[in-house]
Amino acid sequence: MTLAHENGIRAWLQATGGIVVVLLLTQFFTGVLLAFYYVPSVDHAYQTVSYIEKVVSSGSWLRAVHHYGSQWLAVLLFLHVVQLFATKAYLERRVQWIASIFLLALIMAAGGTGYSLPWDARAFFSTRVAEGLMTGLPLAGRMARLWLLGGSDISTLTLSRFFALHVLLIPALIVAVVVWRTRVGNIFGYRHAILGGVVFAALAVWCLKHPAPLGPSVGAMTENYLPRPGAQFLWLYESLKYVPGGLGSVAGVILPGIALLILISLPWLRNQKVIGATILGAGAALVLIMTTVSYVGDRRDQHTRKQLLLQAMQEQTVRSEPFKATPLQVTAAATSSQAAGSGPPVLYVKFCVQCHGPHGEGARQGRLSFPPLLGVAAKPRRTVDDIVGLLKDPTAYGVQPPMRSFSDKLTEPQMREIAEWIVKLQK
Amino acid sequence: MNEMTQMNEARSRRSFLKLLPLGVLAGVVASIGGVAFRFLRPRISAVSDAWLDVALLSELKGPHPLARKVLAENVAGWAITTEEHNVFVLPEKNNQVLSAICPHEGCEVAWDQAGNRFSCPCHESYFAADGARISGPATRGLDSLPMRVQDGKLQVQYIAKERAIQA
Repeated sequence: MTLAHENGIRAWLQATGGIVVVLLLTQFFTGVLLAFYYVPSVDHAYQTVSYIEKVVSSGSWLRAVHHYGSQWLAVLLFLHVVQLFATKAYLERRVQWIASIFLLALIMAAGGTGYSLPWDARAFFSTRVAEGLMTGLPLAGRMARLWLLGGSDISTLTLSRFFALHVLLIPALIVAVVVWRTRVGNIFGYRHAILGGVVFAALAVWCLKHPAPLGPSVGAMTENYLPRPGAQFLWLYESLKYVPGGLGSVAGVILPGIALLILISLPWLRNQKVIGATILGAGAALVLIMTTVSYVGDRRDQHTRKQLLLQAMQEQTVRSEPFKATPLQVTAAATSSQAAGSGPPVLYVKFCVQCHGPHGEGARQGRLSFPPLLGVAAKPRRTVDDIVGLLKDPTAYGVQPPMRSFSDKLTEPQMREIAEWIVKLQK
Repeated sequence: MNEMTQMNEARSRRSFLKLLPLGVLAGVVASIGGVAFRFLRPRISAVSDAWLDVALLSELKGPHPLARKVLAENVAGWAITTEEHNVFVLPEKNNQVLSAICPHEGCEVAWDQAGNRFSCPCHESYFAADGARISGPATRGLDSLPMRVQDGKLQVQYIAKERAIQA
């Protein structure tokens, strides 16, 4: 539908489909490129996203285009739906109307699954919220939670699921919907093309100045970290403050789902104008009001404002730090001898590095803090023999869980090799 | 004549407007495509000059090449991987260390005790006990690695596979 017969401003206002097409293409291309480096596992996701941001040429810009493009796409697709509603497309161009509503639902799903992928602190909390929303669903809550997480808790399986949904299933459905839509008419007249081109150029320029956010890693998160979702989810975040307990699932999942179903069925309903206008108007009002309330609330509360400012500064600092590659855990046949020169023994890399760091500097995992091993030989009862004994039976040396016995994993010579390396570590 | 000109102008305008969407799509694809080339450009790791432990000197005895493994750190983009490489020590040649990589296509040679030679399982190149080429598609012998003795241990600097093949 080129709408070539329309003239003037009205015709331009009705050419929003082109913007959607251009932004969809942009999301597709940038997503494919990001997948060349991204690894969907909780051990490597943050590291690979940092690598894209800090090392890969144009990586920061591409990620920003993908990140902000998804937000712009949701807003402009909603405006496209409003425009279709205003021109009574639900009566005259049903396929176009239904396809656009489906597309809106799919874009929201893509945004939700994509948000978890960087696996920074924000992503972790958003996954927790998604888990909570699923759990609260009536009747099927427990099952829905397990299916969403891929297991009994958030794990690397959860991230794999979100990744598969985000890059395979949802894009395939989007392509199917777009193909279905284009079968009934051209969506790309010259006005559409010009508007699409202008929005793409604006997005490209915006992303030169505004990198996509990347919070602290889950391991580096401090206790007073305040999770705040991106602009596209602020309305949901704020709304959930006002909804008690399991009713959050009603507000966050069931009501939006029902609203979308009603919009899809609009061509066959009575009082279409009133129903459609109510849903679209209430949806837009809810998103606008809640986003504003959240934004203003955060800035009015002095403590919150200070903490968010601090987090923004910390994020800036992390962003400007040089990238540091991390050792992969070794699973090959290596059984002894050092990884390289005076580096850690291979079995230290395999069993100890996760908690004590690649150079014995210690590490954090969530709220757990693991001690550094630097200068440990200066402490009482920490000779090579003591460390071998400690690796066999930590409690005998006053070390409590999560430190475990490695008697079942390491032979005595292997423990000795690790211990001999550890006692050489200097502060 | 005037009508003719107007018709031509209208036709030309229509053609331009028809091509405009294609132009915009091409622009979007080209701008992301240009960035994609830089984004996907392979990153060559710096060659490591670390000295890697091969074995204690006291272990290196006998008339035949001794197979040993060295573990080398490789920075691959965002990750540091530990890779295991096979080498052969020649005790009778002042502990010279040979890379196990065949200089033909990069497969790893094995020591054939019965034939007193190294053989490549891929394309049947053969090398003498000192690494010199005997026959097969390889055009030169096995590479000798830089070595030194430190604290009673034999150490080498490992040459990466692509360098060994290209040399």
